[in-house]
Amino acid sequence: MNSAILKGVFWLAALVPVFVLWRPSLSMAQDEIIDLLKRQMAEMQATMKKMAERLEQLERERASANGKIATVEQSVKTTRSAPSALNPAIGMAIDATAEHRAKAGGDFNFRAAEIGISASIDPYARAYAFFTGSKDEFEVEEAAMVTTSLPLNLQLRGGRFFADFGRLAKFHPHEYAFVNTPLSLERIVGGESKADGVEVNYLFSTPFFLRGTIGGYNKLGAENERLDDTKSRAWSRFTYLGRLHSYFDLADNHSIELGTSLAYTPSIRIPEEPQGGSRTLTGVDVTYRYQPLGSTLYQGFTLGGEFFGNSERVERESGFRRLFAPGGYVYGEAKINREWAAGFLYDNAPSLTSPGKKTIGYSPFLTWNLSEFNRLRFQYSYLDDQVREEKGERGHQFFLQWTTVLGSHTHGFRTR
Amino acid sequence: MIVVLLGFAGRSEGQSIRVITTTPDLADMTKQIGKELVDVESLTRGVEFMHAVPVKPSFVPKLNRANLLVHMGLDMEISWLPALLEVASNAKILPGQPGNVDASNGVSVLDVPRSLDRAEGDVHPKGNPHYNLDPLNGKIMARNIAEGLSRNFHQHRPALEKNLSAYLGELDKAIARWQTMAAPLRGVKIVTYHVEWSYFANRFGLQQVGTIELKPGIEPTPNHLIALTQKMQQEKAQLIIYGPQSDRFPRQLASQTGASIVRLQSIAGASPQTDTYIKFIDFNVRSLLAALKKS
Repeated sequence: MNSAILKGVFWLAALVPVFVLWRPSLSMAQDEIIDLLKRQMAEMQATMKKMAERLEQLERERASANGKIATVEQSVKTTRSAPSALNPAIGMAIDATAEHRAKAGGDFNFRAAEIGISASIDPYARAYAFFTGSKDEFEVEEAAMVTTSLPLNLQLRGGRFFADFGRLAKFHPHEYAFVNTPLSLERIVGGESKADGVEVNYLFSTPFFLRGTIGGYNKLGAENERLDDTKSRAWSRFTYLGRLHSYFDLADNHSIELGTSLAYTPSIRIPEEPQGGSRTLTGVDVTYRYQPLGSTLYQGFTLGGEFFGNSERVERESGFRRLFAPGGYVYGEAKINREWAAGFLYDNAPSLTSPGKKTIGYSPFLTWNLSEFNRLRFQYSYLDDQVREEKGERGHQFFLQWTTVLGSHTHGFRTR
Repeated sequence: MIVVLLGFAGRSEGQSIRVITTTPDLADMTKQIGKELVDVESLTRGVEFMHAVPVKPSFVPKLNRANLLVHMGLDMEISWLPALLEVASNAKILPGQPGNVDASNGVSVLDVPRSLDRAEGDVHPKGNPHYNLDPLNGKIMARNIAEGLSRNFHQHRPALEKNLSAYLGELDKAIARWQTMAAPLRGVKIVTYHVEWSYFANRFGLQQVGTIELKPGIEPTPNHLIALTQKMQQEKAQLIIYGPQSDRFPRQLASQTGASIVRLQSIAGASPQTDTYIKFIDFNVRSLLAALKKS
């Protein structure tokens, strides 16, 4: 115990002089530390001041940006609420050719300026219309309402539209892969399947695409002269249509599309037949496509054809006579690269009144798509004509076609 | 025959939420978020040029039966999707309806045209729709999908949110990795075939000096290629990026300028290397780094 106390006193005695002697240097170090702290504090204050200033600046910038965003948002809202914001999509296609027909001579043929408009009407329907002006007329080619939300996979279309007959009959001519409407389509169906009426589409719930259509119309076919579209008539003078349309992917890049159509008119006028008769128009369309998914921009091939049959049952006092006029076309088109495509059209068109007589057409064509909206096409046609109904529709023909599209332009699913 | 065909109408598809997406990126994200709740199919395979997808009627029955349609938006699918919806007879997935999920909601859009004139080529009025090439936008896409699923199937919201948060965590980790990996790409000058790489270039610091196309959707003229070659030489452009387009012009430019060509993917799904969104961005970053080494 005593030795511990003695050890303590000894260490105390030794440390006191050391502490006394060392104290001034300790006091100096403290001063330095305090100075250092003061400097650091001053620096921190300066930094904080700068940060506060920067923060204020950022706040000002943010407020200004917010102000600008608010102005832009306000302007967008104003634009959206402006009456013009509800205007339908409007587009126009212009289609013209320079042509020479061996039996008729040359022509700068202004084929069509087609104005298309479309928009939703409300949550239940949409509507579209195509107004077409050509050399000698201006007409409403289509103006139709289509439902968008009917249950049971049904869709109803009414007004004036291209009835769901075949494939090419629903194209506007500037959308063809070649220059002219095939004569077989022109004579048998009457060109585009233009019709005033109503039709119902049904999408079958099959794992593959299958769609059916039934329709009733005043008449079918833009150039169909056998029925009058302009006045009321007996229900037997309407045309009734049925169609089934399907599609199969054969492989990733190969597909086939099939359709079959039937249009029946119980009572029509037939030239030089006072009793008239009934008409059954049938059609089968087949389209094979090669579309390599990775290079659809550069490669592709389409082989499409339609067979039409016009069957007229003519009533006579001695009984009835059936006139059957079959015809059709086949075309192939291959994409050479992103801009160029070439193809060939074979056309076999009978006379409806003398089905034994035909016009056979052979037409190679070459298309240059300068862009998606600007297209030049060269076509040579040779028509071997036994019918002699239309002047100039025989012999050699040359066409240079220029087609452009302005604004919004789409004919949708039917012309894909 | 009709009776047999009508018989298909009543067949049951099970209880899963049937989701159709327009791209494999969206399909992958929907699977990650919906997990066992969803049955997902993408209409495209990932090899297509998104502005020229064939309008296949075989897509129509798929759209007809879908509970949800997830699409890229910003008019990416304008040339084919509206035509299909026109005949799909499914009001639930039409634009504006709850079943129509636009994955671009909330994306900061780049390349919004100053004027809408087709003299500027096939312009996208709403701006550049290839926003999926920026992985930060991938997070927005995932959130939009989760919100779209939850909006239509409230009962699954907690599970969907949990899956979303796990996926976002995974994506965040990948983004941090790409930011580090892609450091050598910062400041590298590039030429692209089509204007689809802006978002990617922005994220990883690449500088675009020109495009092979004269204008969007318009093939180059000889004069444009000459001017582009000179510009590439002046600017010392190191990489030429192309996607589903032909390699003819990229090769021609590469041989004249010494730049490296690299074929990237603008959507996921084209190959097993890019079958998920994360693998697809990874593939693009790695391909660019490999091409940069060669240049």
